[in-house]
Amino acid sequence: MIKGFSLFKLCGVTLLGSVFLSMALFAAEETAPGVKGMSEEEFTPTKEVLTVKYVQMDKPYHMDVESLKGAFKDAGAVKVTLQKQDKAFPNGGGSVSGAEVKAIHDGLTVYFQITWNDPTKNARAIAVQEFRDAVALMFPLGSVEITPAEHFSPRMGDREKPVNLWHWKADWEADLLVKGELEDVEAQYPNMHDDFNLNPYSAYYHRELITSVEVLSGGRAANNLLSQPGRGRTVEDLNAEGFGTLTTQEHQDVNGCSHYEEGAWTVIIYRSLITDDPHDVQFVPGGNSYFNMAVWNGGEQDRNGQKNISSQWHPITLERVAWQ
Amino acid sequence: MTLVHNWHLGRRMEYPYFESRPKRQFAAVFNINRCIACQTCTMACKSAWTYNKGQEHMWWNNVETKPYGGYPQSWDVKTLKLIDNGENTWYTDEKDEKLSPYGVYEGDTIFEAAAKKNLNQWAVGYIPEDKEWRSPNFGEDVAKSNKPDEHSSLPEHSRWFFYIQRLCNHCTYPGCLAACPRKAIYKRKEDGIVLIDQKRCRGYRKCVEQCPYKKPMFRGLTRVSEKCIACYPRIEGRDPITKGRPMETRCMAACVGQIRLQGFLDDNPKNPVTWLIKHDKLALPLYPQFGTEPNIYYIPPRWAPRSYLRQMFGPGVDEAIDKFMVPSRERLAVMSLFRMTQSIIFEYKIEEGPKVFETMIHGKKFEMYNDTVIGYGEDGQEIVRTTIEEPVHIRDPKHYNSI
Ligand code: SF4
Ligand code: SF4
Repeated sequence: MIKGFSLFKLCGVTLLGSVFLSMALFAAEETAPGVKGMSEEEFTPTKEVLTVKYVQMDKPYHMDVESLKGAFKDAGAVKVTLQKQDKAFPNGGGSVSGAEVKAIHDGLTVYFQITWNDPTKNARAIAVQEFRDAVALMFPLGSVEITPAEHFSPRMGDREKPVNLWHWKADWEADLLVKGELEDVEAQYPNMHDDFNLNPYSAYYHRELITSVEVLSGGRAANNLLSQPGRGRTVEDLNAEGFGTLTTQEHQDVNGCSHYEEGAWTVIIYRSLITDDPHDVQFVPGGNSYFNMAVWNGGEQDRNGQKNISSQWHPITLERVAWQ
Repeated sequence: MTLVHNWHLGRRMEYPYFESRPKRQFAAVFNINRCIACQTCTMACKSAWTYNKGQEHMWWNNVETKPYGGYPQSWDVKTLKLIDNGENTWYTDEKDEKLSPYGVYEGDTIFEAAAKKNLNQWAVGYIPEDKEWRSPNFGEDVAKSNKPDEHSSLPEHSRWFFYIQRLCNHCTYPGCLAACPRKAIYKRKEDGIVLIDQKRCRGYRKCVEQCPYKKPMFRGLTRVSEKCIACYPRIEGRDPITKGRPMETRCMAACVGQIRLQGFLDDNPKNPVTWLIKHDKLALPLYPQFGTEPNIYYIPPRWAPRSYLRQMFGPGVDEAIDKFMVPSRERLAVMSLFRMTQSIIFEYKIEEGPKVFETMIHGKKFEMYNDTVIGYGEDGQEIVRTTIEEPVHIRDPKHYNSI
């Protein structure tokens, strides 16, 4: 550095020139700071097609994995290879190598069942060092044809080609089971002291303090869905148009359920085939689409770009309904 | 990465975004020598912003005892280890008044260390676990003693501790902002305050991980991260007390020890914080080697070992302590402005007064003049006027026993 510093003093101009040169080279490798370009192969969808099987079924009273499992019996599975996310900063993931996806529809609702191995169940994200297990499906928006000639980024889409994402979170499912539908900090720290006495007959009850929770909880006041109690669902409906652009939709249409047993997650994500939201992917029996996916292993501190991804789109075909 | 100039380091460094300085930068000067660790600042902040549910562990302002204290525990030692490449030294033979006032840092910043280690993220860092945030007073008032049989005497005590007052530094090159993959963190152009957008944050905790000062904090209740907001409604002059003038934050205004002076770092040499930081170089950045160009500046404690202080505040320590011990006429005047008003002072003027005192300090002559120092607000109006000698009021004998 001493050398570098005096060198800079001597021939600052040359040095400055080489800085620009190296920045130009840098730009050739990276499409944006911290983002590497993708290979041709990644723009080619996989050969294997996921058939969304038409099944005549009665919607179970409880939408849980146990009651829905039978309907997937004859649906064909697609094995999705997962790998570390290594294109956009921060890179990460790599602990989950694959997942199996099956899909069915009954003419009204489409169901995707995803199973993968994860030795640890992480269904809470209240402590600072805790991260949740999660899975997301991603679909191109609108009717598109994806070919190597017609680039459509399999990684979060891009500005011209947005995507719709369905993000299931293990902690949202845990939230559904508690009073108020949001696991409170006491769930993680049962013996902690706090000043919030919710019993209005107690001598310590303080109404202003309790009503201030909403105002002084930034996430809630700003209407961040992650912070809201009573979401009534386990899957978040989102859009993206490239890395770092993930945005929660105004209108939430997707839901799901899960089961964890013997080191494996089974997650079923469902939504009506058609919605009236222009930001949603639409499924027509007899029609085609694509999906891509990612899995987060909370035990390995996976979150955001630190995830296990599939680097190619997978074609989807929906079976016609019986009367079509 | 782009190359940006960091004047604390006296050189350019790599950062994910272009250099873009705010019109004026939120800044403050803390005189460590005067802090009594009463934690009034800490409680002023807590009772304003973090008394709520899920914020039990949050202290946006905290005062910790060095060398053993730390909130979260050992935050600085852990981060220093992450950037340690064995050669984290400074080249101080040549200095440039503006570009490299302390010399040139030759080690790695948090950004450079991440690039060197091929971490494929913007900066090095770690997430302190919940138990590390749990005891903000850990190590309080515990002294370090190398030679137990020796008594302490200046200039450096052999048995020592000091308090360090910490809040978000509203850095010029924030590690938190660089780390966020969603750009949910932004630095305001008008005052350089760094904020987390509570709507865009998704609780990834990359900011908790990559802020070297560990000032963004995760809130389990809302599942997103929060940090010091620099009491921005007060900075914007929205508190009725100052009638529309920019007002100092809660932690600054509450300071019992009168150690804090807040202002904006700008180009005006007669702005008290700008003068203390850039012209007099009495106040120094905390761990400048992290590379974020932090904006809370400290007058280092004169009794602590210099090697420790140099690691903490960079190579400007010796000069700053010498200046603090034997203050010049102007320095004494500017230091008299600390905590004289809660409106932010934008400019000062000194009216000369008579010489009132003279002595020798460590072999150097010190003269004291009873000058008057006047502080002006943003609108150029006088907002405070004080003298070097504080006025003395003698109580009437008839009140001796009254309360
Ligand atoms: S209020 Fe002032 S003196 Fe008291 S702990 Fe805070 S900074 Fe120190
Ligand atoms: S101190 Fe930390 S939280 Fe504050 S601006 Fe700097 S990097 Fe961000």
